[in-house]
Amino acid sequence: MTTQRLTRNALLTAVSLILFTVEAQIPVPVPIPGVKLGLANIVNVWAVCAIGPRDALSILLCRIVLGAFFVGHLMVLFYSLAGGLLSWCVLLLLRRVTTRRQIWIRGVLAAIAHNLGQIAVAVWVTRSAAVLAYLPFLTLSGMVTGGFTGLCAQYLLSRRLS
Amino acid sequence: MKTRTWLFIFAAILCVCACAILWPRRTPSLIAGIYVDGNCVDRVDLSRVTEEERRVIETEDGSNTIVIQPGRICVESADCPDQICVMEGWLPECGLPLVCLPHNLLIQLEEAAP
Repeated sequence: MTTQRLTRNALLTAVSLILFTVEAQIPVPVPIPGVKLGLANIVNVWAVCAIGPRDALSILLCRIVLGAFFVGHLMVLFYSLAGGLLSWCVLLLLRRVTTRRQIWIRGVLAAIAHNLGQIAVAVWVTRSAAVLAYLPFLTLSGMVTGGFTGLCAQYLLSRRLS
Repeated sequence: MKTRTWLFIFAAILCVCACAILWPRRTPSLIAGIYVDGNCVDRVDLSRVTEEERRVIETEDGSNTIVIQPGRICVESADCPDQICVMEGWLPECGLPLVCLPHNLLIQLEEAAP
């Protein structure tokens, strides 16, 4: 790991952590647990495409652990970990079937995967399948917010920042 | 894959979600089970409630004040950060179980005990 790569990853972790904590301060006007903009998804989608999945994973894991400390609740760690890892896996699979002009598609599917992971943890934590009733709402919101964050990542990629 | 193919896939997901949301749900009964950390702490038969009643549910992470009225139940206030449980409104009118994930509280309607 070169110093340049380490510095770049640290900077990107800081960026996604800022997005994560700022977003946590914004109240969500929807009475459905788990609905959020997912701004940190921008960094995730961008990093998998621009600097490779391995570095993207290290940024993601650092952000999740630090983010849970910042928000100050242990359960946040499990929710983000399940969602983050699942969306990373989906991004990895999508690398072969999407082009650079279809990055927004990755954003959508990554967001849906993130919400799926979160629901799975919610089922495990509440030990009840009742929270599955929220799955269709979360999938719909994931499609909208994921499309938005995916488009952000796509525009960033077309600017050749790296 | 072509963008059009993806759009078809998204349309399919959209239809499935819309069906799942719009599908008429029957309410099993008016018995509300209150769960903390997956354990039932209380069970209220809403059809037998005659007077409004407030109960404070204490959990390890905080407390939720629930209001029980004849035929319905809601979370009136809570000290959780997101306040989603309060915004969810009344059960069964909202059609979804009431959850407060920060406190791991769940209120759902369930089948009458045999």
